[in-house]
Amino acid sequence: MNANVLEKAPLAPVAPAPDSDPQVEQRLVKRAKCGDLEAYDGLVRRYQERIYATIYHMTSNHEDANDLAQETFIKAYQALKSFKGDSSFFTWVYRIAVNKTINFLKQRKNKTHMSLNDLDFNTEHDADLLALISEKTPRREVNLIELQEKLNIAMQKLSQVHRLVVTLHDVQGLSHEEISRIMDCNAGTVRSRLFYARQQLQAYLSDYLK
Amino acid sequence: MKPSPQDFDQLRKLLALKRHEPPPPGYFNHFSDKVIARIEAQGLVMRASWRQRLFPELNARPVLACAYGLIITGLLVVGLGVSQSLDSEESPAPTLGSPWFAQTPAPASALPSGAAVARPLTEQTDPTSSVNPVFTSSPPRFLFDVNQLRFERASYDLH
Repeated sequence: MNANVLEKAPLAPVAPAPDSDPQVEQRLVKRAKCGDLEAYDGLVRRYQERIYATIYHMTSNHEDANDLAQETFIKAYQALKSFKGDSSFFTWVYRIAVNKTINFLKQRKNKTHMSLNDLDFNTEHDADLLALISEKTPRREVNLIELQEKLNIAMQKLSQVHRLVVTLHDVQGLSHEEISRIMDCNAGTVRSRLFYARQQLQAYLSDYLK
Repeated sequence: MKPSPQDFDQLRKLLALKRHEPPPPGYFNHFSDKVIARIEAQGLVMRASWRQRLFPELNARPVLACAYGLIITGLLVVGLGVSQSLDSEESPAPTLGSPWFAQTPAPASALPSGAAVARPLTEQTDPTSSVNPVFTSSPPRFLFDVNQLRFERASYDLH
């Protein structure tokens, strides 16, 4: 299969910045620190999708992402008293998710199962995918599931840190600065890792990028 | 081979497809409920102090805490003022013209039968001699009880 499905597709908009009104977030964190579970529920709802998606793109497995996302928020609740507010809660919880996921991937090193068949594509509201699907030209007729499977396989070939940078930047849409805070490194390192990761992916996915 | 930015644009378009790999529909409807349930099941719920439970908003809003503090301080000051004004109404301050110093608040029946009853200066008619003792036999009820203080004449019998 050699389908240049992206020939005319516009560059998809990055994921929107997290809805992080600092004052509301700080208030929720303070209330949660006092044992208010409703406030913590609000924090979970605020970031659940982004945390889940990041973990999913790192693991390529919904069940693993489900477990790790839940454990991330439980761990964050346990450690909430140690949260000093030096960074935003969003960055802090992202760090927990990333560390948990990397630890999980290290343990799962030899176990590579990818359940890509359960992908549920939300094509109803996406302009790119609508364009891909609606235009029934021979070149655009592509098996999206297979394409995403190839994409996931290529992602899994990257090292964990490079996969993480690509996930956070190109999939999640975070800025270099946000990623540097999450990964506890400088923005220059993020840029160089991103460049290297893209080069690697470029090579793995060359058939789809002609 | 060094890819051009245009190549990366193509790659980014491809990677954008990954944004459309959501979990099963309705997955996030109960996600936070599951997290909270696990926190409760594991007994991780943080117990707040009584002050935090009573005034959860105070921690979140320092301005509100200051307002509470000011109100309570104001109430204390008002209460103190009211109590002082009530005290002053019950026992007005003595003046030089008033016979306050000569008053004997204790009723005569309360005194021992043999004890001399001190009389106010205004009622004493014989200023030259006195057989009344300077001190009464009964001890004062309280050392600093001003109502117990008596101003009595002391004299020496020369006979």
